[in-house]
Amino acid sequence: MMNTGRYGQYGGIYVPETLMPALVQLEREFLKFKTDEENNFYYRELLANYAGRPTPIYYAANLSKNWGNSIYLKREDLVHGGAHKTNNAIGQALLAKVMGKTRIIAETGAGQHGVACAMAGALFGLKTEIYMGEIDILRQNMNVQRMELMGAKVHAVKTGSRTLKDAINEALRDWIKNVEHTHYLLGTAAGPHPFPSIVKFFQQVIGEEARAQVLLKNKILPDYVIACVGGGSNAIGMFSAFLDDRQVKLVGVEAGGEGLDSSKHGAVLNKGTVGCLHGMKSKVLQNEDGQIQEAHSISAGLDYPSVGPEHVYLQEIGRVEYTAITDKEAVQTYYELAQSEGIIPALESSHALAYAKHLCEQNKNISVLINLSGRGDKDLAEVEKYGQSL
Amino acid sequence: MDNRYKKRFEQLNIQNRKAVIPYSMLGFPNSQQSYEIIRQMIKSGVSALELGFAFSDPVADGPIIQNASYKTIASNFSVVNAFDLIADVRKIDEDIPIGVLVYFNTVLSQGIDKFFKKAKECGVDGVLIADLPPENSMEVQPAALKHGIDLIFLLSPLTATNRIKTILAHAGGFLYLVSRLGVTGITERNAIDDLSLTSLVKTVQEQTTLPICAGFGISNPNDVQAMLNIGVDGIITGSRLIEIVQNDNREMLEQLDEFFNDMLAVCAGHRTLPLLK
Ligand SMILES: Cc1ncc(COP(=O)(O)O)c(C=O)c1O
Repeated sequence: MMNTGRYGQYGGIYVPETLMPALVQLEREFLKFKTDEENNFYYRELLANYAGRPTPIYYAANLSKNWGNSIYLKREDLVHGGAHKTNNAIGQALLAKVMGKTRIIAETGAGQHGVACAMAGALFGLKTEIYMGEIDILRQNMNVQRMELMGAKVHAVKTGSRTLKDAINEALRDWIKNVEHTHYLLGTAAGPHPFPSIVKFFQQVIGEEARAQVLLKNKILPDYVIACVGGGSNAIGMFSAFLDDRQVKLVGVEAGGEGLDSSKHGAVLNKGTVGCLHGMKSKVLQNEDGQIQEAHSISAGLDYPSVGPEHVYLQEIGRVEYTAITDKEAVQTYYELAQSEGIIPALESSHALAYAKHLCEQNKNISVLINLSGRGDKDLAEVEKYGQSL
Repeated sequence: MDNRYKKRFEQLNIQNRKAVIPYSMLGFPNSQQSYEIIRQMIKSGVSALELGFAFSDPVADGPIIQNASYKTIASNFSVVNAFDLIADVRKIDEDIPIGVLVYFNTVLSQGIDKFFKKAKECGVDGVLIADLPPENSMEVQPAALKHGIDLIFLLSPLTATNRIKTILAHAGGFLYLVSRLGVTGITERNAIDDLSLTSLVKTVQEQTTLPICAGFGISNPNDVQAMLNIGVDGIITGSRLIEIVQNDNREMLEQLDEFFNDMLAVCAGHRTLPLLK
């Protein structure tokens, strides 16, 4: 291997021997892909004409008025498929094709990554199988139907917490068995090296576009850039372009669930400790014996007891601040954006929005750029159910 | 003290026998029965022990061992309990090599040095960390060395020639050959895939004196025979054993004894059969 993919002490490769050759191959092919003009041209072309990039930056005038500060939304909800996940799925599916793989597998929580893979699978003629926790299948049923419509097979995962964590376990087990012809199309900036680097590479487009777009509009950079953090792919994609702009404050927002003092949350960066899960060293929610604890969030995409390793590093060096928003606050902001701007945000993205609202309550004359990572049609049933339970 | 693995494999070699290494999960189905199961292994005359720590997310394991893990964790059987149980097992037999199989997070949660120290105190000889490839073994090597514990590493059917050296540079005790692609469990073996391992085994044997033992999907005497045919020095069997335990009946220990004896019979006085062409 060229390197072991460390961000400080985090990241690395912690997998059974059977997967090592596949990761070695993946790193080699990815490094080639990165500098291959033809493949990159094709990827950019697909992003433009298939996925609909660049996505706009929208100055949310009504929200800005209500919150008393300038609010800009990076509209990843407008990417084909309805979330930023498409950027990565197309990229990795193309990489899989280049590597001569005939089948892709993936985990999914909210179902957005599963949908993106189903799209990419149909597009490239790759057999596609998706692992999804039983609980997530119930709360994101529309996305299951979309995946199946596009020809993907969806496996219900019934082990452990029956959510994203166990979907990743099952996908890894499938990969161990079928590694010769299958590419594991991991959907977030986590997992063993080189996945965090690969996913970041394909999501960087968010931040690159957004930075250029705000500069064009305002001539200056925003005071804050905010993104929600599940595994951390939309956040790293957004933050990466601003890391060197020291004056820009970067904030990642985790799932606060029922509160950080409860045991029901997904706030790994706030409450987790260093451990090893899913092939990487990172922070995890765990007990004193290292048994991984269940995460909780109303949003399936943030319901994960670990996080991409680069975020732990960015937290440690103090470049990014990580905070959390509760289920309740996220749902309130979901309604608020729908009613003030006519945009229905994903529950995941609603966490980022809700934190922006907090900031606006405490500050004057700030400009805030929020990554609206996906659209929220998928969450209608869940939000309604939540409202009734109050 | 002499290395127990070395001693045991030398003895087996002299007797022209191959090793039978049963895997069982510490604390499954409960602390007392787990002890009895392991004591039965020793009574039946197995060659070495492979004892697993339950982990919440065992990605290298199939449904049988996964379920045993979940149940063990749910019963509040802790890492401390597991070490205590190993210490009790060591009292039964001073000479049998004891290996433990863990996932890296279990080691990290205890502190690396503390884990190896504790393991040594309880009489452990080898530690296999299922998700720690040799590239990262520097993290545990100092602790293993300091406390005199062998690090056991995996070989897989896909291990390329250029990786063998890296693995051998860190490996002790024996080499654990993952004998087919996939996770642990009971599945029918594929004769062609099995035969294709012959050259890997040979290549490795040319570079080391460490014994090679094959595991994953070895649940009956035929599987054992298939593995001996490709030239390994022993076998590891786990899921079938846990299945017998799960079926929980009063003759469980007798059934286990019979199971071990069947496996041991194939491994005793075995002479390599000519390979089928
Ligand atoms: C719309 C949306 N935003 C965010 C996430 C969280 O993932 P990540 O942290 O990798 O961006 C998901 C995951 O499913 C999602 O669907």
